[in-house]
Amino acid sequence: MSWRSFGSAADSTFTRLDFRTKLAVMLTATALAFFWESPALMGGLFIVMVLLNLVARIRLTYMTRVLVLMLPFYAILLVTHGFFNTSVGHTALWTAPQGWPLIGGALELTREGLAYGVMVALRTLVLILVTPPTMFTTDLNALIVGLVRLRVPYRIAFAFSATWRFIPLLFGEIRSISEAQRLRGLALERMSLWKRISVYSRIAVPLILGALTRSQQVEVALAAKAFSGSPERTYLHQTALHASDWALMAVCLCALLLAVWLRVSMGFGRFTLPGL
Amino acid sequence: MSDSDAIIHIENLSYQYPGSSRLALRDINLQVRRGELLGIVGPTGAGKTTLCLALNGIVPQFYGGRFFGRAQVAGLDTIETATHVLARHVAMVFEDPETQLVTNSVLDELAFPLENTSIAREEIMRRIPWALQAVRLDGKEAKHPSELSGGEKQRLAIAAALATQPKVLVLDEPTSQLDPVGSQEVFSTVRELNARLGITVVLVSHASEELAEFADRVALLAGGELVAVGPPSRVLADVSLLGRYAIRPPHVATLFGTLAAQGVKLARTPVTLQQASDDLAVMRPRLCIGAFDPRAANHPGTVEQPQAETKTAGARGSRLPSRHVHALSSAPRPLLSAHEASYAYPDGTQALQRVSLDVHAGEYVMICGQNGAGKTTLVKQFLHLLEPTAGEINFDGADVRGMTVSQIAQRIGFVSQNPDNQIFTSSVEGEVAFALHHLGMAPREVEARVEESLAAMGLSAHKKTHPLALPKGDRARVVTAAVLAMHPDILIFDEPTTGQDYAGAMRILDVSRELHRAGKTVIVVTHHLYLMPGFAERAVVMGKGTVLLDAPLRQVYHSSKILRQTSLAPPQIVQFAQRIQAAEGVPLPILTPEELAGCIHVREKGT
Repeated sequence: MSWRSFGSAADSTFTRLDFRTKLAVMLTATALAFFWESPALMGGLFIVMVLLNLVARIRLTYMTRVLVLMLPFYAILLVTHGFFNTSVGHTALWTAPQGWPLIGGALELTREGLAYGVMVALRTLVLILVTPPTMFTTDLNALIVGLVRLRVPYRIAFAFSATWRFIPLLFGEIRSISEAQRLRGLALERMSLWKRISVYSRIAVPLILGALTRSQQVEVALAAKAFSGSPERTYLHQTALHASDWALMAVCLCALLLAVWLRVSMGFGRFTLPGL
Repeated sequence: MSDSDAIIHIENLSYQYPGSSRLALRDINLQVRRGELLGIVGPTGAGKTTLCLALNGIVPQFYGGRFFGRAQVAGLDTIETATHVLARHVAMVFEDPETQLVTNSVLDELAFPLENTSIAREEIMRRIPWALQAVRLDGKEAKHPSELSGGEKQRLAIAAALATQPKVLVLDEPTSQLDPVGSQEVFSTVRELNARLGITVVLVSHASEELAEFADRVALLAGGELVAVGPPSRVLADVSLLGRYAIRPPHVATLFGTLAAQGVKLARTPVTLQQASDDLAVMRPRLCIGAFDPRAANHPGTVEQPQAETKTAGARGSRLPSRHVHALSSAPRPLLSAHEASYAYPDGTQALQRVSLDVHAGEYVMICGQNGAGKTTLVKQFLHLLEPTAGEINFDGADVRGMTVSQIAQRIGFVSQNPDNQIFTSSVEGEVAFALHHLGMAPREVEARVEESLAAMGLSAHKKTHPLALPKGDRARVVTAAVLAMHPDILIFDEPTTGQDYAGAMRILDVSRELHRAGKTVIVVTHHLYLMPGFAERAVVMGKGTVLLDAPLRQVYHSSKILRQTSLAPPQIVQFAQRIQAAEGVPLPILTPEELAGCIHVREKGT
């Protein structure tokens, strides 16, 4: 499994950008997501992020899967903010009937709370969608060189790449251990949840042992390949910032400065709803 | 050898790992010439890997421990010189291709050690195509290591080592996980590089026939000591010496050793096929060679044997009780069968194509074939881990699709290549009882089965021991005991001898034979053909997802053309017998050196 095959289907404009430029886009979007509290602006930012993912040719299945996985979390967000976040407004959309014990007449679903919940949900989506166009469109080597150029120690940049190399091996190991358990006659499908957890926990023994053995073997192999973690080394792969990179980084910087100025001078981006 | 000739000088080298009470290496004195190919043989625990790691300073610089004496490689002291500096002169290739490939493409794998040694980018770009060409991997630069076959991965590791243009190339059991084709690829590549580029090679291997063919000298290590060093014609020809250290000599050496014991006078003991042919030609006037009668042989797999009812429970003095064997519903019906079974992986790869195969109760069947031949896919279908995309798999008359994996596992025991992936608890008895508890068995029944299985595997004395504290061969026995406790009808061993030395491999196969004698049906998946005479009766040869041949072992071993189709080769002794057969015109369908020795006699005067 290659780094890019994880989420991205094909080459795109994004794959040709320098990693540092993509990092700048990622940081700008993240900053704006935390800076703004307006549901409308957050909705706009979310749409921009979806478009960015489409331009970067991130697989649609990846995005829908993320959304499906997050749905229960969003339901909790909407309920907690809708019913209990009274700091942003009190316009009741629904009130628990008087006859209901304890909460009758007291529990309210507020329009502002619900809107705030929607904004928080959109914010988390923006934060999730900001990663794929940066990471999944970057060749691992370009990423390492990019990180080193950003003065991240080579040892850390390499650890990141090596982790990615060994993740599929780790999953393969989990699969074969789990298979080995089934081949001992364990009918996991018929076990109670508690029993199943106890059986699954046994995977840890061979997995940790295997991982420890492997990591020592890798360490020895690295030493034999003259790896010392020293930044004093050459690189086969090279990266360079082109005009398009500089232009996009300038756009990011301007957008960020503009957002700060508008917020400070005009309160643009604060939590508001029509009619408030 | 003068000092100036030697590129490796080892003087009085002893080494002790931290926390260990014994020396891993003891008083080693060894010199290796520039451009020499030195083979190292020795049983597990002999210190072979430690010696290799001492050559590039990883021992002791990485591991610590106590180091005595001196090792000097390419003029550099291995203690005083940092490992990343030594790595420019001494390149290493390890046993496991997975853990030594550390990047995400073939290109990067080659560039990595060069980048680490600060080689200029232009020079890296010049060396990469050269190194790839040297191991015949050119054109695969963009591939991810996981997309390569086992043999290709090892060749990539060699290319990465080669790209540094080392003075010394150290290979630690580089072929132990490869099928015969991959193995041959690696050996011939190394020999070619040694001859063409003059690189000094130190090669650790259990493959005595290949070392006899390729090495200039062979060193025998045992218990951390250098027992012998010399040309293969001396070290590998000393059958009794090798026997003392449980090292398998080349088949032809065993044959000529047996002939010598029969009174045949030898000028030398040959170790290669060519030497054996030459020597036999010289000795021929003094010898008479008779035909081999398979019916007189002791080995199973000799003649076609009636299937199904041939084995009975508790037969031939086994320690296993007869109640291990289920009452099978009908004798002539196969116990396990594949009918036109096919399997295509989701990416479209056709792993099995209309495979039909019957295994009867009490048989001992070997399934062999090159990597990707479909062996594992077939076994996974037997175990219902995979469902055929066409055709069906039947067990005891019923389609396995109607059974769960756990139901099948209680009647078909599976022992995988890596026992460590199958160990889940902290004691041997706990391991054997692990599944039984989860199957809801009464404690008394569990206890009885644990005792019985441990006794059968000779592990009763290790009940309380942590399974991982046992040697690998014994860990395989623990897993076998755990599988056996479920009283399965069939046992499937997947590549049980891979990564084992000769003694370890024989210990595991002895277990399989004992189970077979107790009435179990045994299936062994392997590409170690030379180990199977005396164990398997029947062999199924697979290639490209089909069954190429399904016949008694003897017939299969002498079907060289079919074996070649799936990149297998008959054992050295079978090849030698075939040469004699072609020259003399006498039928010699032998399986072992002993069988061939039985056909060769000293000609009496006047005959």
